[in-house]
Amino acid sequence: MEAACLFVADFAVAIARRDTPALHGRPVVIGGSPEEHAQVTACSVEAAAAGVTVGTTLRRALTLCPGAVFLPLQESAIAAESERLSGLLELYSPVIEVIALGHVHFNVHGLARMTGMADWPYLRDLQEAAAATSGLPVQLAAAETVFAAHAAAVTIFDSTDGRTQGRRRTGPAENPVLVSSGETRTFLAGLPVEVLPVSPLVHVRLRLFGLEHLGQVADLPFSAIQAQFGREGARAWELANGRDDAVITPRREAIRVNEEVDLPAPTARSEPLVVGTRALLQRALSRPAIRGQVLRRLDWRLGLENGEQISRRAVFREPTSDPARMLLVLTGKIERLQLPAPAVALGITLSGLCSEYGHQADLWPNGPRRQRELLDAIAQLNAREGAPQVYRIVEVQPWSRIPERQLALVAFDG
Amino acid sequence: MVPDSRTPTGAGRFRRLNGPRPVAVEATPRGTPTAVLWLGVYQPVATVLDTWRIDDEWWRDEIARRYFALELASGRHVTVYHDLVNDAWYAQEYASPKENAKQKRA
Repeated sequence: MEAACLFVADFAVAIARRDTPALHGRPVVIGGSPEEHAQVTACSVEAAAAGVTVGTTLRRALTLCPGAVFLPLQESAIAAESERLSGLLELYSPVIEVIALGHVHFNVHGLARMTGMADWPYLRDLQEAAAATSGLPVQLAAAETVFAAHAAAVTIFDSTDGRTQGRRRTGPAENPVLVSSGETRTFLAGLPVEVLPVSPLVHVRLRLFGLEHLGQVADLPFSAIQAQFGREGARAWELANGRDDAVITPRREAIRVNEEVDLPAPTARSEPLVVGTRALLQRALSRPAIRGQVLRRLDWRLGLENGEQISRRAVFREPTSDPARMLLVLTGKIERLQLPAPAVALGITLSGLCSEYGHQADLWPNGPRRQRELLDAIAQLNAREGAPQVYRIVEVQPWSRIPERQLALVAFDG
Repeated sequence: MVPDSRTPTGAGRFRRLNGPRPVAVEATPRGTPTAVLWLGVYQPVATVLDTWRIDDEWWRDEIARRYFALELASGRHVTVYHDLVNDAWYAQEYASPKENAKQKRA
């Protein structure tokens, strides 16, 4: 077991149903109320059965499914829930790739062995932990390849002992799916062609050719399917045969530095806020995580006595690490504030780290005098160490295909 | 008569550049790298950007290398090759054929 896929079908609907259990079994449409000029962003299986699809206008959705419950799209809450799910998996696996909201691929190589468990009980515990923590109907699957794990998770099967039986169900399986090593091709053979990551047009064309399952695709000669469908066909054939070189790409952790302070006394004046901000900036910029780097974004927060929070964001056109420049940008924003209550706490977050550009001077300015000084310095260095210290790159066999023969270093004599 | 340049001679005046460095690589049974030991940590391979093969000098010390231009999970780009003669892995800077083609087009 190398790769695993955790999938929550209809993620936004699942969150709505968790928060409002009365929605279970009822058609749910997410995107807004029917009188709004907006489109459906998610819908439940019941609504989909009535003809509602993502992208349908909300009015049309109401016509198709009059009994549906229409809910607004709470993007930030859904994103936070997805983040929470990824955070949970990060406790188990070091390599996690978020594919979409409620859909995560992660590496499970050696994790079960590390905990002294067999593969399937490990997966079962993981699925139970994810379901219990999130309260969502999570489906977990693992296999030797990323595609097999993904296909097993998004296509729901009866799985009582970890071995797939090949019978499709309409709801999430209670148990995780484990595709054993060596059985990948057999397992994939029964899956519908829609699970292949190719364009919808290719799905349609495969169906028109009478190819409904991956097994039928896998049995075709490679040359035939490549000739008919090109690169996508070649990829589909390889995946159907259980060949998948895809690697899970973990997300990059963005460096953020937070600094907060409680003000010594509640204040509504701007001067103490500017002084406090200056102190926070100096403290944040001296942190080892960002020392020597420049940044683009600064989030400034103010906690008020009445519990409200005011925030302002400054995005620098040119990245900087200069606290004076940052404070200059913020001071104007702070002075324009009309506070409804005295401020009691202050906080900043620095993010958007990047490297500096455009300020680098030439190491060796041109000019014969400077050149002579440089040669003298090299001669002195060589004399002190007793061996050449500075080399120049020369072409030896630039035509060679062997990289180490193309160039060499020769002692620099001036 | 060529005058004495007074330049000392010796192996120290000439150094090989871009020599292959031994590197630990985990690979699939088909020989595609899946992880590279980089700075003491096995970093998973995110993408195989390009692969090419060099076979040369079969008439003396045979050279048979399969190169892989890789992007590691950390975002770092490395080029490694599998020495098919000694069955060993090395890291070596080398512009891949794809990069060369891009530079020529530019």
